Amino acid sequence: MKDENRNNDSLRNDSLNDDSLKDKSLINESLIGGTSLWSSGWSRFRRNRAGMAGAVIVLCLYMIALLAPVISPCDPVQHGDLPAMRHNPPSVAHPLGTDKFGRDVMSRVFYGSRISLTVSLLAVVIAVVIGALVGAVAGYSGGIVDAVIMRTVDALMAIPRIFLLLTCIALFSRSILLIIVLLGATSWMGTARLVRGQILSLRNKDFIIAAESLGAGSRRIIFRHLLPNTMTVMIISATLRIGGIILIEAALSFLGLGVPPPTASWGQMVFEGRDVLLGAWWISTFPGIAIIATVIGYNLLGEGLKESFDPVQFS
Amino acid sequence: MVGYFIRRFLQSLLLIWIVLTITFFLMHLAPGDPMARYDHPDISPETVRMMREQLGLDRPVLEQYFRWAGSFVTGDFGTSLRYNRPVGELLKVAIPNTLRLTVASLFLYMVIGIMLGMVSAARRYSVFDRMTTVISLFLYSVPSFWLALMLILFFSLKLGVLPSSHIQSLDVSGLSGLQLFADRISHLILPAFVLGVASAAGLARYMRGSMIDVLKEDYIRTARAKGLPEGRVLMKHAFRNAAIPIVTIMGLSLPFLLGGAVIVEKIFSWPGMGGLMVDAIYTRDYPVVLAINFVVAVMVILGNLLADTGYALLDPRIRSGRRGR
Repeated sequence: MKDENRNNDSLRNDSLNDDSLKDKSLINESLIGGTSLWSSGWSRFRRNRAGMAGAVIVLCLYMIALLAPVISPCDPVQHGDLPAMRHNPPSVAHPLGTDKFGRDVMSRVFYGSRISLTVSLLAVVIAVVIGALVGAVAGYSGGIVDAVIMRTVDALMAIPRIFLLLTCIALFSRSILLIIVLLGATSWMGTARLVRGQILSLRNKDFIIAAESLGAGSRRIIFRHLLPNTMTVMIISATLRIGGIILIEAALSFLGLGVPPPTASWGQMVFEGRDVLLGAWWISTFPGIAIIATVIGYNLLGEGLKESFDPVQFS
Repeated sequence: MVGYFIRRFLQSLLLIWIVLTITFFLMHLAPGDPMARYDHPDISPETVRMMREQLGLDRPVLEQYFRWAGSFVTGDFGTSLRYNRPVGELLKVAIPNTLRLTVASLFLYMVIGIMLGMVSAARRYSVFDRMTTVISLFLYSVPSFWLALMLILFFSLKLGVLPSSHIQSLDVSGLSGLQLFADRISHLILPAFVLGVASAAGLARYMRGSMIDVLKEDYIRTARAKGLPEGRVLMKHAFRNAAIPIVTIMGLSLPFLLGGAVIVEKIFSWPGMGGLMVDAIYTRDYPVVLAINFVVAVMVILGNLLADTGYALLDPRIRSGRRGR
């Protein structure tokens, strides 16, 4: 293991020290790494402006979430002096105004990012892993296995997800962990369908037939040949889903079923501003903009990744 | 082909049944009591006990299940615990309202989504394409409840040009047929826009991508080389192929629209299934919840079947491929 690492390192150093090869370091790296698809995709991604913008937005949001205690001007749950502090419009002291308890909206928006980012990221990982596995197995197996799996997926998709979520939230006591698991467990079906569709179109291609005739088992074919070729679909799907999950989490909070108050969450803040829209528009407006920024960031990132790592589109 | 779809439909019904059964037991095992709202000093415990008996809520869960299932198959969805009226009656009012909203949004969704996507793909990298991409991205990323509030703030509260809630004005007695129609349309605009246009943005993005992929194909180059007008190449050669994934996405968007209707109906006080469902869940009105889920599930399954039929009609290769394996 150690030897291998050293070997790799020395190869890399050689290539970097060699002046004649320095200009072509891109080609070099892909040759040495043995993962040309990924490293060339990565270099394409770095030139993709929209994708990089998305990456920057997402990174900034994570920084805000991480540094919320440092950069927030006020305590997000501390009530201000009432009634003087109630519904104060944006000012220097409170750049995004205050809400009905005199709390600083900006600090609450900063802290709210923690909920959205954590919940959506973990939920989408759960969703894509389940979806890809189910879709791949269904698409590759065909026949009765496919039929049973896909009818189950149909039935699950036919039940309105918001209802499933509401029932389960009512059934168990509300917690962040529950919401993450529920969102993940109710978000994989779309990915499964898309991956299956992709696999159906791939399974009769020559390279799969070649792999089969070489005696590769179905597990190997699924994991080595089929799933890597559905990467694009999985990335698009994960991106669209992470945005969707953020939106659903916000909607749940808006309905009063997300994380319990007084913890700041964006959806709940939009709801709190609902009754005072005309007089205190800032309470609903700014958390909404934060949600949009997050979802846009993820969408741009995903699109950029798609364009960069899609070998077909750029061949 | 027909047999295949009938078989699929029946399988789907069976699975819906299983899911509904699970939901039934989940709801009954969940903490919370539909009679809890009668917990009031003016109502004697004796009355509550009698009501419980009358509604069959004092029976074991299993017995309740069989009674519910028995009446369900005969089309009797039971009695709402909250309104004390047959669920069928409530649905008779709610379903057309939800359908009106959903059909209006589906129309906006398809027309806007497909057209924006096609024009963007045909005029790739033009100003129009870039603008559409930016606007789509924005609309796709907007939470519907927030968009709804902002539109209400602007169009209803500030400008006062569009109503912010309900299906029609409170007093419509003095209106002629045409005026009533206009009144209802004006009430439909904001909710249908919120529900349809956000999804249309997603469809436009897919459509654009799909068209761009198809436009790279050899047969498009051949069609162009033959000297066919560009409009014909786009409509006949490219669109039919690009529409294949779109058909699936449209089928997938149905539960999305119906689910979105839950929130949109809630915000706009639209008297449809969504609002009925949310209230039913808060008050644990089991029969209403189960019936609405059944109706919505059947709608979605039908939508999926239609999408699959469209898929097969548009691409005969898929149809024969399915039979082959």
